[in-house]
Amino acid sequence: MEGSISNRIRTLRFHNGEMSQAELGQRIGLTRQTIAAIEAGKYSPSLESAFRIAQVFSVPLGEVFEWNPKQTP
Amino acid sequence: MPYREKTAWLSLIAMAVAFGPYFTFTLVTAGSRPAEPLPNLRQLGLYALTAVVQMLILGVGHLYLRNVTPADERTPSDVRDRAILSRAVTFAYYVLIAGMIEVGCFMPFSSSGWAIVNAAILAIVVAEVVRQSVVVVSYRRQA
Repeated sequence: MEGSISNRIRTLRFHNGEMSQAELGQRIGLTRQTIAAIEAGKYSPSLESAFRIAQVFSVPLGEVFEWNPKQTP
Repeated sequence: MPYREKTAWLSLIAMAVAFGPYFTFTLVTAGSRPAEPLPNLRQLGLYALTAVVQMLILGVGHLYLRNVTPADERTPSDVRDRAILSRAVTFAYYVLIAGMIEVGCFMPFSSSGWAIVNAAILAIVVAEVVRQSVVVVSYRRQA
C-alpha cells in the first residue's frame, strides 16, 4: 500500500519553547541536518529515533508521525 | 551544509585538481612518443607528484574546515550519515570491481606496462569520484 509519512515536529518544537533542530538532534543523537530532513519529509527515521523524538516532546508516537495512505480513485 | 558534504566536495576538488591534469597529460603524451621501458621513472614521478598534490589539498582543506566549523567536525555521525556512506560505498564498489575486471582480465591481452597501471589508477579514481558524488547528491536531496 502506497502512502507517505507526515510529521508535526516543527509544531511540537514550537510548543516546546522554540526548541532548535540542533537541540532536538543533540537530545536524541541525530545531527541538525537529519532533523531538518525528517521535518521536510525527505528522510524517514528509524523506529527507535521516532520513539526518542516522541519521548522528548512527551507525547505518543502517533502525535508526532502520521501515516497517510495514498487515495486510490 | 553538513560537514560530511563539505569533506566530500573537498575530496572531489582534490581529485579534479590532482588527477585531471595527470590523466590529461598522460593521454596527450601517450601517442606522441614511444613508450619508455619499465619502470618509467618519468611516469612514476608524475604519479608521485599527483599523489602529493592531492594529499596537500586534502590536508590543507581538512585543517581549514576544522578551524572554520569546529563544532560540526566534532559531531559524531548519526544513522542517516552512516546510511548515506553505506549507499555511496556500494555504488563505488561496483564501479571499482568493473574497473578491476577490465584491468585484470582484459587489458593484459591488449596492453602492458603503465597503460595497465594507469587504467587501474583511473578505476580507483572513478570509484572514489562516484563515492563522493553519491554522498554529495544524497545530502543535497536530504535523502
